[in-house]
Amino acid sequence: MRIRLCYFALPLLSTAGPVACMNAPALTISGACVADAINIDCTVNGLPGNTLGLLGYSCTGSARPDDSPTYIDGVPQGLICADRGAANADGTQNYCCTTATMPCAYNPVATCEDKTNDGFQCRGSSRPESLNPATSCTQGVWEGDLINYCCSGTPRVHPCADYGGCGPGRTGWTCPANVLPSAQDLGVSQSRADLYYLLCPVPVQAPNPNYYNFCCFAAAPIPPGGTCIQDLNVPGCAPGRFGIACYGRDTPDQDFPSMTCPDPGVPGVSAQNYPATVYCCDFKDQ
Amino acid sequence: MRSGQLASALLALPLFGLAACPSNPSDPPPIVYQCGTTDPPAVVPAAEVCGVGDRDLPPEPSFPTDICQELAANKATPDEDNLDTARIQAALTACKGRAVRLVPDSANSANSAFITSTLSVNSVTLWIERGVTLYASRNPELYQKTGNCGTIGVNDSGACADVITMSGTSPAIVGDGTIDGQGGEPLVGRDYSWWQSSYALRGIDGSIGNPTLINTASGTTGLLLYRITLHNSPKFHVKITSTPSYGTTACTNNGDGFIVWGITLLTPSQWTNSRGDVLTPSFARNTDGVDPGANNIAQCGVIACNTISTGDDHIAVKGGHWVSNLVIAHNHFGTGHGMSIGSETYGSYTSPDGVQHRGVENVSVYDLTIDADSRPVGYDAQAADFNGIRVKSDESRGGVVKNITYRDICMRDMTNAILISTAYNPLFAGTYFPQFGSLSFQNIHHVTCMGLTLPVLTLNGFSAVYPAGPITLDNVIVDNMGPMDVSSQFANIVLGPGNFGPDEQTRYTPSGLGVSVTENRTGVSVPRTCVFPTLPAPTIPPGWLR
Repeated sequence: MRIRLCYFALPLLSTAGPVACMNAPALTISGACVADAINIDCTVNGLPGNTLGLLGYSCTGSARPDDSPTYIDGVPQGLICADRGAANADGTQNYCCTTATMPCAYNPVATCEDKTNDGFQCRGSSRPESLNPATSCTQGVWEGDLINYCCSGTPRVHPCADYGGCGPGRTGWTCPANVLPSAQDLGVSQSRADLYYLLCPVPVQAPNPNYYNFCCFAAAPIPPGGTCIQDLNVPGCAPGRFGIACYGRDTPDQDFPSMTCPDPGVPGVSAQNYPATVYCCDFKDQ
Repeated sequence: MRSGQLASALLALPLFGLAACPSNPSDPPPIVYQCGTTDPPAVVPAAEVCGVGDRDLPPEPSFPTDICQELAANKATPDEDNLDTARIQAALTACKGRAVRLVPDSANSANSAFITSTLSVNSVTLWIERGVTLYASRNPELYQKTGNCGTIGVNDSGACADVITMSGTSPAIVGDGTIDGQGGEPLVGRDYSWWQSSYALRGIDGSIGNPTLINTASGTTGLLLYRITLHNSPKFHVKITSTPSYGTTACTNNGDGFIVWGITLLTPSQWTNSRGDVLTPSFARNTDGVDPGANNIAQCGVIACNTISTGDDHIAVKGGHWVSNLVIAHNHFGTGHGMSIGSETYGSYTSPDGVQHRGVENVSVYDLTIDADSRPVGYDAQAADFNGIRVKSDESRGGVVKNITYRDICMRDMTNAILISTAYNPLFAGTYFPQFGSLSFQNIHHVTCMGLTLPVLTLNGFSAVYPAGPITLDNVIVDNMGPMDVSSQFANIVLGPGNFGPDEQTRYTPSGLGVSVTENRTGVSVPRTCVFPTLPAPTIPPGWLR
């Protein structure tokens, strides 16, 4: 199977064709998928999959039922599939997929923090789990008019709990090892306007050695041209302090007014492994 | 009506020289402009005094007779160097169970201003006499909580203390005077206002920590706001958590929990501030009008006979805890973001008897007008600035919304006449899936007067697992609505017995992914006759075009 991309050519001077489509040559997919409404259980919340517009598939190789999306006039069109756990003993993988195409496209090259997640790119206000209740997705990220999601067939339970030991202006969470608080952990605010960007410090070991405490704050928007981002791996940055990596000449205190950085930055790499100037900073206690 | 003139003018516009093209049979029909009738009679017959005869409402509240202290104004303008906080608070504290009245200076009637920072209205009545204005100080340091109060561009919704906090038993703010939050005026020591500070976060939908004008502490019972005028709150105007004194779940008489009656809320109250900066509703960001349930449970409430024009939701019923038994009647709305429920609907409250109550339930909205044409909103207004009725939530904050009825409602020139959305912010992930139950719309009429965009209806449940409904549409007539202007998914919709469509005869049937329709329509229904009263609005400066 191949990724098929379509676009409308602009009708200029009445000479253009109406629609042009192209096949993306980059991805080669092996294997095939077979629908299996009997053996693959797509029940969600006690409701049978067929009443939810879902159908089970069994796939071999790297094939997925949703790996042939199209973009028509910039609108993604494709099935949305949710894996049903790990691969079977014979190497096949089960999926529960929408029976109809949705305004979403499976994105095989998406970068998801959790490598077991699958990327989808959607248009419109419906998240993938609205359209396929068997899937569960992370925070969406705008890309132009489209929203990127990372999704999994495994119900997502965010494991962080509230932590009350933070000073003014910060919000605390206790999370298991290797789990970071995310903006969605803020739950709801008292406002319609509550999109937060969390900046979290190097975690502090909780009394339970399997857990870590974070005292994060919702940062102001990075000003235009700002290049500083969170980096929990800055060498020598002690737990409770904020590691920041800047790709440009700006400094963390310029991008985040609540931040103070007593020491100059040093050359290093960001958490994404790109060259950057790294800083170890503190939250300004008010 | 201006309809004919406006339509003719629009049709006469030469669009790229194509104005002479013959009409295409597939073209949509021309917009029919119908502004509704003009003002009601200037003299309202006694029998038509708002709320009289409505058996769902308690009697109209009255002013207290037991005046504990009377404080006279000693200034004509809100002098930041001469605050009245201490003397007003001292009186309020000393007069629990009674009333404190703010009056003009009898020796110099020009002295009619009070100015304060934070005030506590605990089990006492604050009466603001006609002609008196209680201003909120513009000094952020007087509201400081986290250090970010008054700091521009910082996302810290808890940064500031509130201007007035109501609490205790039967706290009240009454009178024909005004409370002015001065949201559009420059802050002390800054060259920007509360609203500019908030507006700076608009690009990221961020939340500034500006003070709420009137907030309520948990545990409050029997709150009353009566006839007071509210202007220019830095952020939300009124957040209510209040229940009956006899318990949190019972509701013997509507209004035992709280009453908001006859208030006038106008924000911005002027088109420019003292510096000459233009102020518009869309600039006055996050200035919700009245939000029951914003802090904790709100139960057995009445919001009646008010006029509200502001820069955000007129009313937003917040289900972050539990809201029930709410009557919203005989109100007139101007500019604003809608008669809303949400976005928080995830609430859960276990009452002392062990019963779990959830979200928002048992809300009745009737005899309401929403008029987008009440005043200009500003060049940067967006579609969301013209919402009529909406129920909003998403999976980061969703929960139960059920037994909600809307009836006898007129709207004018909305972008979203009815918006039932389970994707308020599609970016947000979560597991609090919106569960919208029964929503009933009866005798709803939306007219187009000056609007150039056609009204849209959205009727969305969350998913096949959590469909919305039944959503009943009975005599819901939306002038100029096209078949493509109705969007629906995952909803069980009941139509009838009155029509749903752009007029009394043309029948529309919503369709979409996961939509089921029960057809109960019979015969022809008569659209509700709409009267849009002239609402309070700032005087337009000389030379401005309306």
